Amino acid sequence: MSFIEVKHIKKTFKVPIKSDGKFGALKTFFNRKYNYIKAISDISFSIKKGEIVGYIGPNGAGKSTTIKILSGILVPDSGNVVIDKMTPWIDRKKYVSKIGVVFGQRSQLWWDIPAIDSFNLLKDIYKLEDSEYQKTLNELIELLNLKDIINIPVRQLSLGNRMKCEIAASLIHRPKILFLDEPTIGLDAVSKKIVREFIKKINKQNKVTVILTTHDMADIEALAKRIILIGKGQLLYDGSLTKLKRKYDYLRKITVITKDKVKLENDCVVEQNTIDDGIEFIIDIRKIEINEFIKLISSKISISDIDIDSGNIDELIVKLYEDFKI
Amino acid sequence: MGLYFKYFKIHFKSELQYKLSFMMSFISQFFVFFGYYFTIICLFDKFSNIKGFTLYEVLLTFGIIQFGFSFCETFFRGIDQFDDLIVAGNFDKLLLRPRNILLQVFCEQVSFIKLSRLLQSIIVLVIAIINIDVIWNIEKIITLIFMIISSIFIFLSILIITAAYCFYTIKGLEVRNVLTYGCREMAQYPIGIFKKGFVMFFTLIVPFGFINYYPLLFILGKETNKLFIICPLITLLYLIPSIIIFYKGMEKYSSVGS
Repeated sequence: MSFIEVKHIKKTFKVPIKSDGKFGALKTFFNRKYNYIKAISDISFSIKKGEIVGYIGPNGAGKSTTIKILSGILVPDSGNVVIDKMTPWIDRKKYVSKIGVVFGQRSQLWWDIPAIDSFNLLKDIYKLEDSEYQKTLNELIELLNLKDIINIPVRQLSLGNRMKCEIAASLIHRPKILFLDEPTIGLDAVSKKIVREFIKKINKQNKVTVILTTHDMADIEALAKRIILIGKGQLLYDGSLTKLKRKYDYLRKITVITKDKVKLENDCVVEQNTIDDGIEFIIDIRKIEINEFIKLISSKISISDIDIDSGNIDELIVKLYEDFKI
Repeated sequence: MGLYFKYFKIHFKSELQYKLSFMMSFISQFFVFFGYYFTIICLFDKFSNIKGFTLYEVLLTFGIIQFGFSFCETFFRGIDQFDDLIVAGNFDKLLLRPRNILLQVFCEQVSFIKLSRLLQSIIVLVIAIINIDVIWNIEKIITLIFMIISSIFIFLSILIITAAYCFYTIKGLEVRNVLTYGCREMAQYPIGIFKKGFVMFFTLIVPFGFINYYPLLFILGKETNKLFIICPLITLLYLIPSIIIFYKGMEKYSSVGS
């Protein structure tokens, strides 16, 4: 049995339909009709201890709903979840003391007071031992470099610093599992890097299992070896990122700086654009190898510079979504 | 209890961030709610009694109800403002912590501004107790203490029930105001002054009668049965179904999407 075992979970939300028109509000009040929105329709997966899993999918795919079910906030309509031998929504109190959750768009810190006061209160909420708490706190302060920001009221902190405090708050009780729901949303490049590196570190050092949802593919590339892709409430892909890349990342943008002009009539060229000082080709590497292509092009024109762009992961995901029609 | 005080300290610290705003609101609240008492005093200026109850007797019930209500508003603000908690999605946060949910809801907010109302009700209670035409003895003092305690508990129960209502509708509707404010307005007077139907309602359905009417009769010497001393405590039982309803509602809870 795996550490996290999710079996055939389903969740439907009941949303009242609002009538328009003059007495719309009144109509809805007396004659309520509901829309049934399938947030999740049958998802199963399992996760081993110490893994980092990227949970991705477009907006409204059911990512947050899954996280909420896994963290015990929501109860699925059917199916079963067993995590560390517990069912989240049944053994709630025991279970939540073993997990940490960060919602990127919500805060668990008190707004008007310094983060350290929030941490102290969390110590009482989780009933932590003094020595143990102090040890964890010092560790977190050092790892995240919180020393100077911990005594400033949270509302005066920058988003990046606040997120660092949020993450520290979710780890103060040394959870075995960390759920991160869009942890890098709105952060600048430096803060993103710090957050990513920190997640990697605690995963390695403390063997914390990490499940993260994000729209920032750089997060996934930096952190998760394994991704789970969902769309419209269904599981579409579960496996390594490299495999996915091999399957979908087949287009290369080759920019050639040249004064010559040429028109390649070859089915390996998906697109050809003329730019200021040269030509831009987008080629399909399933149909032609790169060195073959370069041979071909250099036989026709003289090249003063060449740049091969291996396509970014965002485009890969767009392709993937298109492919699955989500 | 320990946890509540830890939270209390945090809320106090937060409040201190805005000292001036706090002072202004505190003072203005004090004057706004003074209007309530003013109405009664004006009323009794015209009529010397209402159905046999004098000014200070009415002020006593008034003070007891106001005390219970503002006590809950001050210290259990979280349950009073429960719909905010649900709508903002912060209820999820409470579910993620290994503590009793209802306790956490109580801890969620403390309204220091409402302390001014609490203070006011204490002043009115003291004035009423001094001036009321009653010879105080141990039994009567105990009755009074029971009345005050159960006044807190009845409002607490009502607030819990109306909070549970949010689980079904997400946004608390006027129903809750009818129960809290409506009942409070009525119960401020000794319910004996109302028609039979109201008396039955406030005895059997929302047991305000046990707080400020039947024991009042004992204090005034209109009833001598000793049962009237402990009858306020009946309202403590009211807490049990309200807590059950709350937890039943929680099972229904389907959190707002983000």
